[in-house]
Amino acid sequence: MSVELWVAIIAGALALAAPLVLAGIGEGFVERAGRINLGIEGMMIMGALTGVWAGSLAGPLAGLVAGLLVGLVLAVVMNLLVYRLHANEIVIGLGITMLGLGLSTYLYQLWVPSGQTNVAVATVPRVDLGPLSELPVVGPILFGQSPLVYLAVVLLVVAWAVMRFTRFGLAVQAVGTDPASAALRGVRVERTGASALLIGGALAGLGGAVITVGTIGSFTPDITAGRGYIVLAVVIMGRSRPIGIALGALLFAFLQSFALLSQSTSLQLPSELYQSLPYLVTLVVLVITSRSQMRRLFKTVRPA
Amino acid sequence: MRALDRRRWVLTAAVVVSIILIAGALIVFAGADPLLGLQGLVDGVSSSPYRIGEVLVGAVPIGIVALTLIPALRAGVFSVGAEGQIVVGAIFATAAVFAVNRTLDGAAPALLLWIAGFVAGAVGGGLMALLPAFLAVRWRVNEILSTLLLNYLAAGFLGWTLRTWLATDAETATPQSDELPDAASLPSLIPGTRAHWGILLVVVLAVVFLVWQRSAASTRLSVFASRPKLALRLGATRSRTVYSTMLVSGLGAGVVGWIQVAGVNDRLLSSVSGGVGFSGIAVALLGALAPIGIVAAALFFSALTAGAVGMQSATGTVPSSIAEVIKGVLLMGVACIAAYQRRPAAVVAPAEPVVADAPDGPDAPGPIATAEAEEARA
Repeated sequence: MSVELWVAIIAGALALAAPLVLAGIGEGFVERAGRINLGIEGMMIMGALTGVWAGSLAGPLAGLVAGLLVGLVLAVVMNLLVYRLHANEIVIGLGITMLGLGLSTYLYQLWVPSGQTNVAVATVPRVDLGPLSELPVVGPILFGQSPLVYLAVVLLVVAWAVMRFTRFGLAVQAVGTDPASAALRGVRVERTGASALLIGGALAGLGGAVITVGTIGSFTPDITAGRGYIVLAVVIMGRSRPIGIALGALLFAFLQSFALLSQSTSLQLPSELYQSLPYLVTLVVLVITSRSQMRRLFKTVRPA
Repeated sequence: MRALDRRRWVLTAAVVVSIILIAGALIVFAGADPLLGLQGLVDGVSSSPYRIGEVLVGAVPIGIVALTLIPALRAGVFSVGAEGQIVVGAIFATAAVFAVNRTLDGAAPALLLWIAGFVAGAVGGGLMALLPAFLAVRWRVNEILSTLLLNYLAAGFLGWTLRTWLATDAETATPQSDELPDAASLPSLIPGTRAHWGILLVVVLAVVFLVWQRSAASTRLSVFASRPKLALRLGATRSRTVYSTMLVSGLGAGVVGWIQVAGVNDRLLSSVSGGVGFSGIAVALLGALAPIGIVAAALFFSALTAGAVGMQSATGTVPSSIAEVIKGVLLMGVACIAAYQRRPAAVVAPAEPVVADAPDGPDAPGPIATAEAEEARA
């Protein structure tokens, strides 16, 4: 395999990782706050659809904002049902996903009836980094990316700083580790959990919009193809830490990019194997990380 | 079950009204007349014996998956792997039927082919379920995620299977296997429809689980979901609970794989699971993990799908995916109602939530609510 192919694979991996990282940052907050959002898939696909819809009306930036807002709205609904009506968070999450997948398909089929050509929108324009992007190998990988990849990196740093240095970040962690003592110390447990979920929902919607407005420029039903669940796996693998999330997302995206691009080369392996590889490796990494988490737990329970 | 209190009635009414409103709004948004849509829905379900048969055919796989999920969900083991288990069960069943048929030179009796398909399907689904169970017991890998990832691997395996060792030689538009021998297909139960004998299996399973519900084992699982340590004293270890409950759901899903091949399509198709696995979870929760409720919910889900197709053809504009939206809203609504009943809310809580400690009582909705209670006490 040539250098050009590897450059294309890695550059593609960064682009594929961006939505996973964005949604993963949000889910990182949710899980640090001791909650779980199984509705990410539904929020992402609704974000992907509204991203294209708003993008076709008012440009890619509007698409991103619309995606973010849709995710936020779904998170508000989820919060209402879980906190006000005390419904089970897992079931509501699954319900949000079912709703999102169904509604996005429904609205899309109304918007673009079958037989008509798909709506294509402008994607977020690349910024011209001049001579940097002409550097060999590094140029196309690091400096030829969509601005959304850089946005993901910036948000990673912001999330890390928020978690580490702000009152809100500390409250989230306190609520996640020991809600009872956090409450005793004056942290508003419910409100903190709700805020975390709202961040998670907004970023999931944004992540969905990034898939369509960022790279593809059009919507098809089931375009997220389980990425919402991959985000969950990535966040658990990365133990909700920004670095871990980024690494997990990069691993999955790299294998996906590899699968996409290496099919064109003449490697004598079935294409299904390539397509399954990201899921297989994610599962293996999930096993490995769960195992070491277990060891850590045992150490705290029974000090050697 | 407790007497229904007023608040629950209000909640139930609110769910029904909001579903009607949402459905109406979606139909109007599509530019169609809601009454015409409703008529199309009713026609799609009941206009001919064939249509009624379609509802039954659709309810069979969902019902079996949901019924065999009862033990797992009761124990708080949240497997979402039915999709992949159906796929592997279908592959195993198809391969076994062809193998038996070939060894007997195409003269295999129907009964033998049915048994071969049934057993092979169950084995395939069961094996596919034991892997995430093992990972969950041994390394505490979250079973929601492992089963989800395994679904994708099963889909890849199916794609490869239909391209290579089970692919038909005939030129076809979609990847598929050869047609099963005639003797292997399940005979139809109602003439002129696709309704087959698999329906009886749903009835049998419903009765079995009705009886099982009254057993000590069933109670142990509920205790396991809410108080694992107490369950241990009753003899329900974590490993035994996870293995047995996931195995039951895997066997059920595997048999569904066989039924879809032998009863509905007569061949292995890449669409064999068709979202049945996920509908099964929703239906199990919708039926509050009670066999009768699940059978009713499975019929309702299937009728919604069939009715939405009727609505699409009657109005010409309303996409049939409206059924999925209604199902999602319904699931969330029922989860809210269930929160007012004691049991189901605790039952569907995960045994090992990714979040934090398991709720320590059947009433505790989660660690956060516990904290709120602490706050109130302080």
